[in-house]
Amino acid sequence: MNKPLGTFVVANDNLVSEMERWEAETRGPFVSQHPERRDPFVTQSLKWPIKPLYTPADLDAVGFDYLTDLGFPGEYPYTRSTRPNGHRSDFWTMTQVTGFGKGEDWAKRARYMLDQGLSGLILEYDLATTNGYDSDDPMVEGEVGRAGMALDSLEDLEAAFDLPFDKLKYLMSVCNAPQPVNLAMIIAALESKGVDPKDFVLHIVNGILIEYTCVGRYIYPPEHGLRIATDCIEYIIRNHPNWAPLSIIAAQLQPAKANPVQEIAFSLAIACAYIDATLERGFDIDTVAPYLNHFVVNVDMDFFEGICKFRAFRKCWARLMKERYGATSPEALKIRMMTSPTTIALTLQQPLNNIGRLAIMATACALGGAGEAMTTPLYDEAHALPAEDAIRVGAALQHIVAHETGVAETIDPLAGSYYVETLTRQMEDAVFEELEKVFAMGGATKAIEQGYFQRALGREQYERNKDIEEGRRKWVGVNHLKLEEEKREIEIFRLDDNMEEEQAAKVRGLRARRDQAAVDAALEKVREAARNGGNLVPPCLEAVKVYATHGELCNAMRDVFGVHTPDSQLSGV
Amino acid sequence: MTERPRRRLRVLLAKLGMDTHTVGITVIGHALREAGMEVIFTGLKQTPEMVVAAAIQEDVDVVGISTLSAGHTRSLPKLAHLLEEAGAGDKLLLAGGVIPEEDKPLLHDAGVDAMFTMGTDTRDIVRYLEEWWARRQAAEEVA
Repeated sequence: MNKPLGTFVVANDNLVSEMERWEAETRGPFVSQHPERRDPFVTQSLKWPIKPLYTPADLDAVGFDYLTDLGFPGEYPYTRSTRPNGHRSDFWTMTQVTGFGKGEDWAKRARYMLDQGLSGLILEYDLATTNGYDSDDPMVEGEVGRAGMALDSLEDLEAAFDLPFDKLKYLMSVCNAPQPVNLAMIIAALESKGVDPKDFVLHIVNGILIEYTCVGRYIYPPEHGLRIATDCIEYIIRNHPNWAPLSIIAAQLQPAKANPVQEIAFSLAIACAYIDATLERGFDIDTVAPYLNHFVVNVDMDFFEGICKFRAFRKCWARLMKERYGATSPEALKIRMMTSPTTIALTLQQPLNNIGRLAIMATACALGGAGEAMTTPLYDEAHALPAEDAIRVGAALQHIVAHETGVAETIDPLAGSYYVETLTRQMEDAVFEELEKVFAMGGATKAIEQGYFQRALGREQYERNKDIEEGRRKWVGVNHLKLEEEKREIEIFRLDDNMEEEQAAKVRGLRARRDQAAVDAALEKVREAARNGGNLVPPCLEAVKVYATHGELCNAMRDVFGVHTPDSQLSGV
Repeated sequence: MTERPRRRLRVLLAKLGMDTHTVGITVIGHALREAGMEVIFTGLKQTPEMVVAAAIQEDVDVVGISTLSAGHTRSLPKLAHLLEEAGAGDKLLLAGGVIPEEDKPLLHDAGVDAMFTMGTDTRDIVRYLEEWWARRQAAEEVA
């Protein structure tokens, strides 16, 4: 006879005594002959003890209940999947990050990537751009076009958007502190290319709160940072309802060594700060949440921490929206995730080993439910900007996981594993405990202003490094199976050395020939909006169209907002 | 006779320019503090001028720069020169992060006293600083 669902996991009455017998008669004597290779066994980041064996008794111990903890795919609490049919109807969108050089360089690389079977792209800008400077500013000498594409004016984006827009479904733009300037430039560039904004999805990351927490590409103090971000959110909801105005890149907390509980809790607290600020603009939660539910989530090499993190993340979002905000629409209760293998598991040493690591992590992403999209870092990541070979392998890797492994053929295939369900529940409980702490501080903005997130991550960074130095954590090529002499086994990409000077000359040339009076007037309107609380996007849009530069617009806002200068305590160093 | 209490080593850690990679410098900061040193971090986006001013104002013994982006071949010699010019050339100047082998002789000649690139064990850095500090204090006591 079939068991009813509710009793799916209930441990057999004599399970516990049978376990004790097994321990005494079978495992115990074996271990005394063959000592364990680690003491204790713990999960990689959380350092939670791992038992030798998980059974239904563990599910009983955490109070697991199938219907309330898991339910069904596409339904609350979405633990198994936010998608009613998992990935049986379609795979995740396969994307990669790219950005270097000038607009033309980016367009050429983007066309190559679209030809490799990718349909979404992530546009990264250089550190001059993301920190709010033009390419000819002495502050950014040596940085132009290095960590991403150089962007000084609308001209650069027009060059970058020389693309087949019928193949490009989706573009994510990563330019957080200067977000209204960047959003305005993209809108103007799409307009000048004749792209209908309704046929295309722009996704801005708009992730200033994570910049303060760990990435560092901030300009203005946090309260102004949040207001600027909220302006962009409001503008998109009102004017481009098919676009996405925010992505919480939990995947930036993770390389800053956030453990899975911190990663989920801090990013949910950060989401709440954006939600609260957007609700104040006169929207209700069921309207707002579907715009602010995009997360990018990494996995590290601990397979099960990664898989359980995705499952717990989906459930924690759903619970938070329901319990804290009273959201009721399914679109508000569903998190949208882009998943990714982490870069921090990759090594400089023996870089081809990274292909193995990436395959394992991409498989974990798929087993954890993958979500809307997946992006893969590349095996040469630690050496230089990606070479074309690395991009091809990175794209192929996602196709291999999707088409060759069978992991996406059934929904949430690891559900019901005693270990997976125990760990998922433990994570969920710990996340809500941590969230309570942050809410008690007054929320994410306050936690950032007090340095709480920064110090917590600083401690994790130190501990992880110590584990590696002292050999508790084995890392092939770094502290295990190290080669005495290593010759570089891959080709690396080199950026043209003249690029910086050419880009700087280009922006100087532009300033000399544009209508300066129009620029000055437009910049003043931006300052005015900054001062009087008007939405910053419309005046930025006017300004970029008369070719005010990126740095000038950022400076106009610096004039009003000032700059953020955190000390040791607030930096977590 | 009571022995004069030995002063704790004071270290200024800094990041120059737009380089916002802080994991390395955070790990170093924690390791040095755990070893009993006083650590002051300038924050991000510093110019060489700002670092020199902070080094003098905080009266540190050591200035440590973490660099994970291009630009170190210009900014570090400039910093060394400015320290010298400000009469602070006796401070130990260290650099860490990503510094290609071929750049090291140039930086050394320009006044960078030691370089600890990616993958250096923090215990080696602590040992180096402790030894340097012992020598420096012995020299001060003689003088």
